[in-house]
Amino acid sequence: MRRGGPSDLAERLLAGPVVWVGLVALTAFALGPFLWMLLTSLKDRQELYATPLQYLPVHPTLENYVDAWTSTVTPFNRFFLNSLWVCSVTMVATTFVSILAGYAIARFRFAGRDALLLIFLATQMFPSVLLIAPLLTQWRTLGLIDTYQALIYSNFSFTVPFTVWMMVGYFSSIPRELEESAMIDGCSQFGALCRVVLPLAAPGIAATAIFAFVVSWSELLFAISFTTQTDMRTLSAGLLYMVGQYEVQWGQLSAGVIMSTVPVALLFVLLQRHLIHGLTAGAVKG
Amino acid sequence: MATVPVTLARPRTRPLISWRVHKLLVGYAYLIPAALCMLATVVVPIGLAIKMSLYNNVLYKPQDYHFIGLGNYLRLVQDPVFWLTLWNSVVWVFGSVLLQFIAGFAAALLLQQTFRGRALVRTLTLLPWIIPGVVVGLIWEWLYQPNYGVINDLLMRAGLMQERVAWLSSPDLAMTAVVFTNVWRGIPFFTIMLLAGLQAVPDELYEAAQVDGASVLGRFWHITLPLLRPIIVVATATRIIWTFNYADLIFVMTGGGPANATQITSTYTLVQAYSTLDFGYASALSVVLLLVMLAFTAGYLRITKGVEEID
Repeated sequence: MRRGGPSDLAERLLAGPVVWVGLVALTAFALGPFLWMLLTSLKDRQELYATPLQYLPVHPTLENYVDAWTSTVTPFNRFFLNSLWVCSVTMVATTFVSILAGYAIARFRFAGRDALLLIFLATQMFPSVLLIAPLLTQWRTLGLIDTYQALIYSNFSFTVPFTVWMMVGYFSSIPRELEESAMIDGCSQFGALCRVVLPLAAPGIAATAIFAFVVSWSELLFAISFTTQTDMRTLSAGLLYMVGQYEVQWGQLSAGVIMSTVPVALLFVLLQRHLIHGLTAGAVKG
Repeated sequence: MATVPVTLARPRTRPLISWRVHKLLVGYAYLIPAALCMLATVVVPIGLAIKMSLYNNVLYKPQDYHFIGLGNYLRLVQDPVFWLTLWNSVVWVFGSVLLQFIAGFAAALLLQQTFRGRALVRTLTLLPWIIPGVVVGLIWEWLYQPNYGVINDLLMRAGLMQERVAWLSSPDLAMTAVVFTNVWRGIPFFTIMLLAGLQAVPDELYEAAQVDGASVLGRFWHITLPLLRPIIVVATATRIIWTFNYADLIFVMTGGGPANATQITSTYTLVQAYSTLDFGYASALSVVLLLVMLAFTAGYLRITKGVEEID
């Protein structure tokens, strides 16, 4: 054993100052840009374009938020509701579809099961730009341009493969014997799924659902391709539209950015708790 | 008395379909909604994309719509911009993933330490990862803004620069600027993956190595890295694929400019579809993108198989 050698010094440095400096740098790097956007959103026009740069708003104002929210050219309240509706429906439908499929793949042995799993996995690696031209053609033929359906259906292309994959994992971790005893007691297969399996998998399902919501919230390319009217834009598409509209209004835009970030940030905190819950529940059972 | 056995025997008549077949049918029924979703939004569109790539299909010239076989692909091979975008994609993917990996690993090692408020710091440092790509792009556009952007201001105050720089509109700097933004965005992905891996390494291994006099670096090199290898391979490969396909950030920040300096293959596909409305050519580009990805995935599966065999 060596004591007091150079490695000991390195260790003490690594455990103390290096860790603290690293943590401060990491946090500042991750949050700095958000903070700057928040400060920007609270400045009035004069402070925003002051030279030399004015870091802190002297007269903080919520004007930018009000302007963005009620603007008639870029109606942020409308964008917000559009996003909320599209993402909620996508979330509910995706969860329903992937519960059924995930359960079938986890519990039934049928021909083509492995191939199906591989397809769900491979689909996650496809470039979404591949789907834009054909989906646009398809939705146009069906008369679905400028409808919520077009956006919701398109979202399935990336939510469903991932959530099915997650569900298979959750259901496989639940012992088969639990359902079998419920079925001996007179439950149908579907009854056993609803009464036994779903409650046990609830934390995992919640995490998956929120995940589907968050990724739909970020979706941009489908939203700008399959809508033409301002009233049908989602938040992502609306923000981009704000940039293209006229001289970039950074005050309103930064308020819009903060408003688009807050819901997913909150959901993410929730998602994390559920994920940890799901993991520990599995560990306790296993 | 004689009739009783007959009534008892009656329920034993064979059901129309056996229990096993019935169960199988139920299983298939559960799959129908998911299969329909995939069919309508992935399978049919990909078939349609392949078909479209074989046609001259420019939206504002419907009279010129006709079958041209591999014409779009021949045009693609002769298109210097296409080859430029492939090279740009390599720079974009390699730069982004390498830096995300290094910084993400460092972050995971830091967040692995025990300190007060660790849960909060962990959550906060993951935020750049979950916000929409548009939001990331706009935040950094504002940070890079030549006259009112805080990056120029800070660098000039620190004396590192003499005059303002137009980060996103200078051909020499634009790629660095978008890669840096993507790094900021992607660090948490590696942090999450590697942190999960680090927590699975038993403490006893480190303690034993310490007793044997292994240095910090030695422990990292001989314990941490080998044990994390499978996770590193999977995380890196997934990230490479994702970054190669990812178009939102560049599309929002530079649109591929200036003069195609940041044009990667996936944004070039978008530009062809949106600006020139040449859906045939755009489809050919996206099919090539898909083929590159499939080739990479096949290679990746072979590598991970190798990793599993070694372990």
